[in-house]
Amino acid sequence: MTLKLYGRLQSTNTQRVILILKEKKIPYELVEVEFGQNNQPERLQFQPFAEIPYIDDDGFILYESRAIARYLVAAYPEHGPTLVPPPSVGVKAQALFEQALSVEAFNFYPTVSSILMERLLKPFIGQTPDEAEIATLTEKLDTRLAGYERVLSKSKYLAGDEVTLADLFHIPLLTLFGLGQIDAFTNDEKVKKWPSVARWANELVQRGSVQS
Amino acid sequence: MVLKLYGMPVSTCTRRVATVLVEYKVPFEFVSIDVAKGEHKSAAYLQNQPFGQVPYIDDDGFILFESRAICRYIVDKYPAPAGTTPLVPSDIKGKALFEQAASIEYSDFEPYAYPAVREKVFKAMRNLPTDQAVYDSSIETLDAKLAGYEAILGKQKYLAGNEITLADLFHLPYATLLAKAGSDLMTTKGPNVTRWYNELCERPSWNAVKDGAKSFSSY
Repeated sequence: MTLKLYGRLQSTNTQRVILILKEKKIPYELVEVEFGQNNQPERLQFQPFAEIPYIDDDGFILYESRAIARYLVAAYPEHGPTLVPPPSVGVKAQALFEQALSVEAFNFYPTVSSILMERLLKPFIGQTPDEAEIATLTEKLDTRLAGYERVLSKSKYLAGDEVTLADLFHIPLLTLFGLGQIDAFTNDEKVKKWPSVARWANELVQRGSVQS
Repeated sequence: MVLKLYGMPVSTCTRRVATVLVEYKVPFEFVSIDVAKGEHKSAAYLQNQPFGQVPYIDDDGFILFESRAICRYIVDKYPAPAGTTPLVPSDIKGKALFEQAASIEYSDFEPYAYPAVREKVFKAMRNLPTDQAVYDSSIETLDAKLAGYEAILGKQKYLAGNEITLADLFHLPYATLLAKAGSDLMTTKGPNVTRWYNELCERPSWNAVKDGAKSFSSY
């Protein structure tokens, strides 16, 4: 049975899963869940938080986009690039990979998604973006990007010299920097502060657009 | 050389790591970082933790940061204590359900528990003005998310299945501060969340470090 992905194309969390499905060349069927329909009983029984996406892989239900991505990589090792350190690489390299994944989840995603909520979601639902909040969040993001620069000036990717899920997980939000008016990688003064991050970010956005 | 944990004794993330070190009976030396004086932002510190955050470990020269990554490393490196199941499953589906649960913690719990605790506990500790609106909306959302927890925990003992995993333990530092912040959600949302939360609070490893991380030379 072809893997079913329940989600929406406009959802960055759904996009995160689609990105990995495409990287791994895993056939799938997208079942569109309309905006506002997440909490229908037939959805809630599978995803109790009324969120998307979730997958049905031949009866195995899984939600949380990053958990789905990790599962796809583990369950389909023969397909496409590995995207995770192989088991043979040892405990320390695995730990550095987990460190990189955690950096995305805590030092990138919350701040960037909050900015994008202000800039993109609020107008969509008829509210006004809070400019003061955006300024605070931008300052926070800039501090974080300085941290990224310390890492990416020493290694090509977040977990070492091979691309992994930790890098790819950034793509859906990085792709929205333009629309969301986040100038971290287009403002020359800022790019001077984190040239390695800018290089890495642009490469990832390119990679994401090739897959879509 | 014994593992060194660098952090702040009462920091949530530091205690998260200390809990798992104690769970797995790993001897470690706790080194206190002077966060009040900005030691975590010094050039020397940034060499080890490039984001200027606590904690990090130095395991005989191997530097690792991000509390949940450190916890996973401990579980990966050391055998589970006799008579216990590993805190991270190894079979594909069990691992996937663990990752789902671990993701729930940072997607559906921390983003709401943390701001509530920051406003009412951390800011109060530093005599900074608190934003009641942020607290109120965080708690409102957390309340809604805990409905998901209530549903899951009505079908199984823990978030990833019927065995405790890191995903459950990861909640302890912020969950236990909610009462101090003024919210009793963990014991009023529903019987299943209450049962799970109370059980977690009784965990000996958590009780050993909940009042402050410290060194453990033997167990």
